Amino acid sequence: MMPILSMIVLIPLIFAALALFTKTKEQARAIALAGTVIVLLLTVYMYFNFDSTIADNQFEELSQWVPSLGISYHLGVDGISMPLILLNAIVLPLLVLFTWNDERKSPNKFYAFILATEGAVIGVFTALDFFLFYIFWELTLVPLFFMVSIWGGPNKHHAAIKFFIYTHVASLVMLLGIFGLYFAAWDMTGTPSLDIPYLLGQFQFIESGIAKDMIFLALLFGFIVKIPSFPFHSWQPDAYTEAPTAGSVLFVMLKIGGYGLFKVMLPMLPFTASPNLMITIMAVLGSVSIIYGAFLALSQKDLKRMVAYSSVSHMGYVTLGAAGLVSLSVSGAMFQQFSHGLIMSIMFMACGIINNTTGTRIINDLGGLAQKMPKLAVIMVMTFMASLGLPGLSGFIAEVSVLAGSFVNLPSYVMIAVSAIVITAAYHLWALQRAMFGVYNEKLGTVTDINGYQTLSMGIIAILILYFGLNPSPVLEMMLTNSDQIVSLMAVMGV
Amino acid sequence: MDLMLFAPELSLVVTGLAVLLIGLFIPTDSKKILGYLAALGVLVALFFTVSSLGTEATVFNDTVSIDALSQFFKIVFLVVALLFTISGIKYTEGNSHTEEFFTLGLFATIGMMFVASANDLMVLFVGFELASLATYALAGFEKKNAKSLEAAMKYFIIGSLSAALMLLGISYVYGATGTTSIPGIAANASVLVESPMGLVAVVLLLAGFGFKIALVPFHMWAPDTYQGSPSVVSALLAAGSKKMGIVAALKVFVVALIALQAEWQIAFAILAVITMTYGNMVALKQTSVKRMLAYSSLAQAGYITMAFVVLTPIALGGGIFYALSHGFMKAGAFIATAAVTYMVLSENKDSTDPDHIDNFRGLGKRMPVTALSMTVFVFALAGIPLTAGYMSKFILFSSTIQSGFVWLAVIAILNSAISLGYYAKIVKYMYFLPTDSEKVSEPLPYTVAMIIAVIGVLAIGFWSEPVVYWAMEAAKVLVGGM
Repeated sequence: MMPILSMIVLIPLIFAALALFTKTKEQARAIALAGTVIVLLLTVYMYFNFDSTIADNQFEELSQWVPSLGISYHLGVDGISMPLILLNAIVLPLLVLFTWNDERKSPNKFYAFILATEGAVIGVFTALDFFLFYIFWELTLVPLFFMVSIWGGPNKHHAAIKFFIYTHVASLVMLLGIFGLYFAAWDMTGTPSLDIPYLLGQFQFIESGIAKDMIFLALLFGFIVKIPSFPFHSWQPDAYTEAPTAGSVLFVMLKIGGYGLFKVMLPMLPFTASPNLMITIMAVLGSVSIIYGAFLALSQKDLKRMVAYSSVSHMGYVTLGAAGLVSLSVSGAMFQQFSHGLIMSIMFMACGIINNTTGTRIINDLGGLAQKMPKLAVIMVMTFMASLGLPGLSGFIAEVSVLAGSFVNLPSYVMIAVSAIVITAAYHLWALQRAMFGVYNEKLGTVTDINGYQTLSMGIIAILILYFGLNPSPVLEMMLTNSDQIVSLMAVMGV
Repeated sequence: MDLMLFAPELSLVVTGLAVLLIGLFIPTDSKKILGYLAALGVLVALFFTVSSLGTEATVFNDTVSIDALSQFFKIVFLVVALLFTISGIKYTEGNSHTEEFFTLGLFATIGMMFVASANDLMVLFVGFELASLATYALAGFEKKNAKSLEAAMKYFIIGSLSAALMLLGISYVYGATGTTSIPGIAANASVLVESPMGLVAVVLLLAGFGFKIALVPFHMWAPDTYQGSPSVVSALLAAGSKKMGIVAALKVFVVALIALQAEWQIAFAILAVITMTYGNMVALKQTSVKRMLAYSSLAQAGYITMAFVVLTPIALGGGIFYALSHGFMKAGAFIATAAVTYMVLSENKDSTDPDHIDNFRGLGKRMPVTALSMTVFVFALAGIPLTAGYMSKFILFSSTIQSGFVWLAVIAILNSAISLGYYAKIVKYMYFLPTDSEKVSEPLPYTVAMIIAVIGVLAIGFWSEPVVYWAMEAAKVLVGGM
């Protein structure tokens, strides 16, 4: 059988290198489209050969890499990673289409970084060895750092360095946790291994409760910062806002923090010394993120910054749902990752278009854009509705599952989170009303509607938001098998 | 005795003498050939060393031993020497003292190689001094440059002082145990533990090696010397002769004085922490790239010193592995700086600080290969995955946690994060800050040396297994008696 997982990781990286050597925009974007479309085709093939009824890793590839340290090249996907790979594979070619007619300096590097990010992110989702996982995890930093630094807004250098150092420190703390797990298992069995499934299985046999909790918290910190969750979110609005549109979309595709919660944290949770404390920590971080992010979004004047803060709020559902520990909340939180990726892509694309055509993103300086940009208006209204949780769109399924599911175990936290729904509706509608509707602000000059490529890419994503809102099962089924397994593990352990 | 055991050293001796002799008879403008000859000699030595891997022998009345440890470090020194000779071809262009430059470099390498295989403190000391004397002269190679002279002077005076301290320490050890043989001392260690002489010897040796490895507070000479010396020589000092200090310290402390472990282990822990922290903090503020690299070199030495604290086979293997990767990374970074310095000086002869970070502005456009190589080196030094630097930190830091020194690992990891601040600054200047200057042609020998170093950094980072294996074998030599 062909090593399909290696291919979807390596093809973007190889195409990234190819793109670097192109001379013109036309060549670079063609390579980018080719690379991302190949990944999409392979992913679709995988999707149809993926067995949603089993929770195990599939399409596994395993070979030794540095055997004296227990490092192997181990890849595999399960119901937690497959939907996220699908998300990246779908959005990335559309992102390339979206930027098809853009004029910018060094298009070869621009497309190379898009491809490199895709390879690195899919690498994180497929790695089943902590060494490999960490390599891809850190590799995601590099292209995004350059993306912000080169094509970003006025404060790009500040935002890029802040992003790099903030999340690098978090990764190092996570690495400490990995080391702890690695050596604890090494001491117990006498053989080194960094294999993720193996180490997760060994975690329960660690004798020292303090060691267990320290390992858990160190890993949790690494993931929480990447999500990002309150109070470690401050890198995110800067990075998201200063990044160029494509960079912001790539940031949104970076669902590795939440992925870590499901893939690594939850299987370990029942075996920690104080699982209830850990659940409380996650629940507090999640519910506070939801409400705090919503309040901050409400107070923003800049449309893109508002979207960035709304992302803090929405990702809070992921943490809360993970802490909810019933199958409904866990699968809902996984679905939130998928749905949020689609919704945020369009929101950032829309912010980018508005900024390019009108020269401003300040909500009060806009007004009546819908008259001049009807196509954008239709897509934006739909996405904003999805983002605030209108039934029939994908965001609703995710949030309702998280809230309803988590209510079983965490009623008081859900009450806090629910109160944010009103604020969420308020800032979305308010922004939409002031920016898109009402009297057209003549100071904006002549503005033109989105071009064909932009309509195509945003339109496809919008249709997917509607489709998964009406029929989430194609994605949700994969997640349910794994969330059932996680939850039954909790039940067995009496958590 | 089988002379083949010394084939690497002998080929360097022969090359060194040949370079010196031929240099007398050829005119200055054709002396380029000497550089190629020297590089060839190093390659031959490297070939002999690699092909002798796995050999174990002791010769000269057991004063010199050939084992996995000595072979590993010989490879480190030869790699650095190769980078030094190749980049030296460009540096010495048109210099009438070319032959001396290469001969001194080769002799310094021979000295380092003898330290690596020393099984007796006297051999170790003689090798140490051979390498030191040659590098004192190299540091002051630019006789008309006041900075270079100052660099050589500081290095010479402090180097001599450290040699004196070391010799005094050795004499105490000899006085107590009656032998200078390293295994002999280890066998008679009970005397040292009981006598106050042992403690005095530890303090003296610690100070002596502290100077050579440039551990804070014995580091004062290093930034000035690294900055003042020609960049190519700084590469040899930071990447080569510092590693000599480390292998010597491994032999003296971990093998000979292991019985006094309780006395020196905590001292190394304190030195490691203050060295890495001070080095990183001060590096953040530098505007001279060579000075920044010098302080980063302190920090890196601080990390390697952790191996002396942890003392498990994995940690020592990690430290040894680190020595090789640091050799590639640091030599590469200094050579990239040499290329920039060369470019600045060829545009403006009177530039007083050609290594100022402003000269790196827009380097990505001006010298793409140099800029890309420098990016690889600084990211590797910062420990970004898939580079040798990451693998080194991975083994060293993780083994520190394994032995329960979590606090030390946390400090090291935080330091590693801080260091990203100044490494990223170099990348920022090269790629993100605009420049009006034109693209320039990149000096070929520097480029070749940099590409070799880049391949080294990436190859050891990716294809780590054989190197990790040999580093662990080398560590077993040290802890065999533990």
